[in-house]
Amino acid sequence: MPSLRVLVADDEPVSRTVVGAMLKKAGYEVSFASDGDQAWQRLSGPNPPPIALLDWEMPGLAGPEVVQRVRAHDEQAPIYIILLTSRDSSADIVTGLKAGANDYVTKPANEDELVARVNVGARVVELQIALAERVRSLEEALANVKALQTLLPMCAYCKAIRNDQNYWEKVETYFHDHSGVSFSHSYCPNCYDRFVKPQLDALEDITEAQRRQKGR
Amino acid sequence: MTVPPVLDPAVLESLRQLTPPGEPDVLKEVLQLFLDDVPARVERLRSAWQGGDAVAVQRAAHSLTGSAGNIGATGLLGVCRQLDDVGRAGDLSNAASLVAALDAELARVQSEIKSLIG
Repeated sequence: MPSLRVLVADDEPVSRTVVGAMLKKAGYEVSFASDGDQAWQRLSGPNPPPIALLDWEMPGLAGPEVVQRVRAHDEQAPIYIILLTSRDSSADIVTGLKAGANDYVTKPANEDELVARVNVGARVVELQIALAERVRSLEEALANVKALQTLLPMCAYCKAIRNDQNYWEKVETYFHDHSGVSFSHSYCPNCYDRFVKPQLDALEDITEAQRRQKGR
Repeated sequence: MTVPPVLDPAVLESLRQLTPPGEPDVLKEVLQLFLDDVPARVERLRSAWQGGDAVAVQRAAHSLTGSAGNIGATGLLGVCRQLDDVGRAGDLSNAASLVAALDAELARVQSEIKSLIG
């Protein structure tokens, strides 16, 4: 499983480096931003990291402002955001969470706590990826079912089906191509009596006739 | 009574432990970053204080708390927190002694770092 990417945004080089080293040691692929504007650019650009740690107080956009912008922007693959704060009052924490952050960590960060909280984020992100994949494959299956439900032109005699390219296909081929269904060929009791049994009887007659010829 | 260490040895050790195998020492890198980055922040705080700008004092002090806390500079961290508080309160009347204490603490931390990383 490839390591998840994490953005660490903090204007203090010391804090940024320490937090980055903790996450690298825990197996994450870390990139850095040195202010809020840079963080926003990275998170709103193509292929953003799935997890971001944002310092509360940064030049340019502050952490909670970046969170608000990201939340207004990232409907498809929500980024898991942790705010880094030395503000410990519950009013501040509520502000950060209301802005849309998933969690917060107080600075200076304790390594075990920081890594544990980022690991929670990683689990959420992996779950989101797995769910998105599941939804995608269900939608694909549903599209196939819909294709089968539409009105099919079928030959009244040989039962061939006219496909979208105006070409007559055997019913087996048509269903195999549209739904992945495979057929094994057999016969029902009625057809056994109508078709198979007369053929077997005829075969027996021929064999009997040959035996008699040889015995002569 | 023993004097508390300038830099908390437990914090220094945990920074050393962050070094990935075969790569340069994280502790050394972080201490060097501190020497390169922090004096300018202290100067920013000083000029904010001289200009009577409490908001800028708070901002600069706040940014220093992060750097001081991360290298276990306990004494420096304490002074930065107090400056953060007076800046937030908007009352710089007692800031002079805190700025002097900040200079003294920074000098202690700088000389300790220099003796550690050579």
